[in-house]
Amino acid sequence: MLNNLIFIALPYAALALVLLVTPYRFLSNRLTWSAYSTQFLERKFLFWGINPWHYGIIPILTAHILGFAFPGLFKPFLGNQQTLLLVESFGLGLGLFALMGCLILLLRRVNSGMLSRVTYGSDWLVLLLLVFQAGTGIYVSYFLRWGTQWYLHSAVPYLWSVVSFNPQLGYVAELPLAVKLHAAGAFLIVAVLPFTKLVHLLYLPVDFLKDPPIPYRWRTK
Amino acid sequence: MDVRAQIVMVFNLDKCIGCHTCSISCKNIWTDRKGAEYMWWNNVETKPGVGYPRHWENQERFKGGWVVDGKSLKLKAMGKGPTLLNMFFQPNLPKIEEYYEPFDFDYGNLAGAKAGDDQPTARAFSQISGKPIEEIQGGPNWDDDLSGSQIYAAQDPNLQEKQVIDSYASMFMQYLPRICNHCLNPACAASCPSRAIYKRGEDGIVLVDQEVCKGWRFCTSACPYKKVYFNWDSGKAEKCIFCYPRVEGGQCNACAHSCVGRIRYVGVLLYDADGVEGAALKGDAELVQAHRNLILDPRDPAVRAAAKKNGISERWLDAAEKSPVYTLVKEFGLALPLHPEFRTVPMAYYIPSLSPVLSTWGDTHKLLEHGMIPALETLRVPVGYLASILSGGNREVIEEALKKLIALRVFMRSANLKKESDSAALAEAGLDAAAAKRLYRLFTLASYDERNVIPPQQREEQDPERRKQQGGFGILKKTGRGR
Repeated sequence: MLNNLIFIALPYAALALVLLVTPYRFLSNRLTWSAYSTQFLERKFLFWGINPWHYGIIPILTAHILGFAFPGLFKPFLGNQQTLLLVESFGLGLGLFALMGCLILLLRRVNSGMLSRVTYGSDWLVLLLLVFQAGTGIYVSYFLRWGTQWYLHSAVPYLWSVVSFNPQLGYVAELPLAVKLHAAGAFLIVAVLPFTKLVHLLYLPVDFLKDPPIPYRWRTK
Repeated sequence: MDVRAQIVMVFNLDKCIGCHTCSISCKNIWTDRKGAEYMWWNNVETKPGVGYPRHWENQERFKGGWVVDGKSLKLKAMGKGPTLLNMFFQPNLPKIEEYYEPFDFDYGNLAGAKAGDDQPTARAFSQISGKPIEEIQGGPNWDDDLSGSQIYAAQDPNLQEKQVIDSYASMFMQYLPRICNHCLNPACAASCPSRAIYKRGEDGIVLVDQEVCKGWRFCTSACPYKKVYFNWDSGKAEKCIFCYPRVEGGQCNACAHSCVGRIRYVGVLLYDADGVEGAALKGDAELVQAHRNLILDPRDPAVRAAAKKNGISERWLDAAEKSPVYTLVKEFGLALPLHPEFRTVPMAYYIPSLSPVLSTWGDTHKLLEHGMIPALETLRVPVGYLASILSGGNREVIEEALKKLIALRVFMRSANLKKESDSAALAEAGLDAAAAKRLYRLFTLASYDERNVIPPQQREEQDPERRKQQGGFGILKKTGRGR
């Protein structure tokens, strides 16, 4: 039952939402497509929250995505115990860094003068989900060792089975509860992504790296 | 030669009385919205003073504008790589307190308070948090008319002789109305990782595409004039739009239209886009001349031919010929760019203000000894101060402009008194009687259509069906957080 919910219902619901709502929001009202920075109103705590969070979570998220996209690429490297140890400890450190960041971001929203006006239900939801996700991730990483390796042999084939519309629960059904919760958190985050300010991560500001400094727009050209 | 057209505003500081009518008309039209309460796309500040936001001229604090790096320009704040790394926390972003925490008063309480022994009051409350503000800490004109001058005017970075503000005998002040300069080399646009800020090719107006902006906030500090604002509700940057919906139809900007002193002139300049970077690379003292060299003569057949090749229409070329801006900026060199040393090649120009001879008790009655054109170092507003604001420290261009303005007064005064008109003063300043009459007319009698020569946009020149396709009812979509 729980397996069906977490590994069949949730991922497909999340997939449907992100694939349908995101373009709808993009096409119907891009005026709400923003990172909704609050730095203008409060910056003292933000500095200690937003930097650890992003610098922690970006490498970790990238590692998860790369592991999913190119599992074959990483398998040979991770056979070595020392490499594995290095990757895992680095990942744990970054995870703790990210958790500290999003905890500070969560606490900074509590009882803060001007921020109260820019804090909505979706902000709480996103922050709580991120804290939950970082927390379960750290638990898995510390107590269920060598996740870097078994991720490639359990979650990755399962995720591929999901995207090929033939979900194989066999890969993940026997995983510990913490891992299941971590997976559920991930699917929830994907599901709320198109409804919240998280959409900002669907836009990578890299165009400007190659563009000339001043963009011109011509009505006639 | 890559000829482009730019629509430009000139401000005659000599006539600004600091009434803030321009700010109010701008506010009522454009920034009377949630998230924009603190924004004044047009503001008027008292000089000497720290301005709005406080200390905006201090680029060591905000890292705005460009700096010369060998043979090229680079943003003062950071390059592209560091931009990506500082995306989450933008270190140079101004704080809301550096503008001011917007407030309103609880007027409802005056009529709605419960019966009691005390007169009800309208307490100030924050327009952001909604909570009462016990003591207001700032406003859009906090140091207006030199209030708190020992704190604010004394910190004006342009003021070298700090002692002048210590005594009424030497104190001076003038007003500085500011809008977005719609620069030729806008640092805000260059700093935007989303490429949301662009310069319109046809008229040079710099705009923020609200659909593309993601709120990375680099523009707010990259603009050395602090004329890009962060809307705390919509999470996007906003700025002066040069009233393009009005200007496109040939009307002048709301600020210029409402100006009671008629200090503003709006017109077209033609410039050579190939020369912009080279101009911005010049040394501080040569920047005003570099600006003037960029501006092309619309009567020159070669310029006209190149302009036509670039798609600039006949009506725009005609407007460029009649442009009061060309007269003031290039022809007579009276109007000067605001802080050209920020190297954004700003396209708003200021005619420096005149001031009386600095007289103290005793020589007040010997004013005539100063002659018709007094020595400029005896003027109450130090030339060095004006040079620091309007010419990158070049005193000569300020002196030239002041001499012309004084000579013009001398000439017109003698004409009004039906005396022999004094052309000697004019000649000394590099003017002749015909030029003086033209300038006099422009400064005093010029009608709306002489002060604002605004050609209709190509939108107006398009076929009706295309024009109608692009028309609309403005933005009806909802913006803001929590949606």
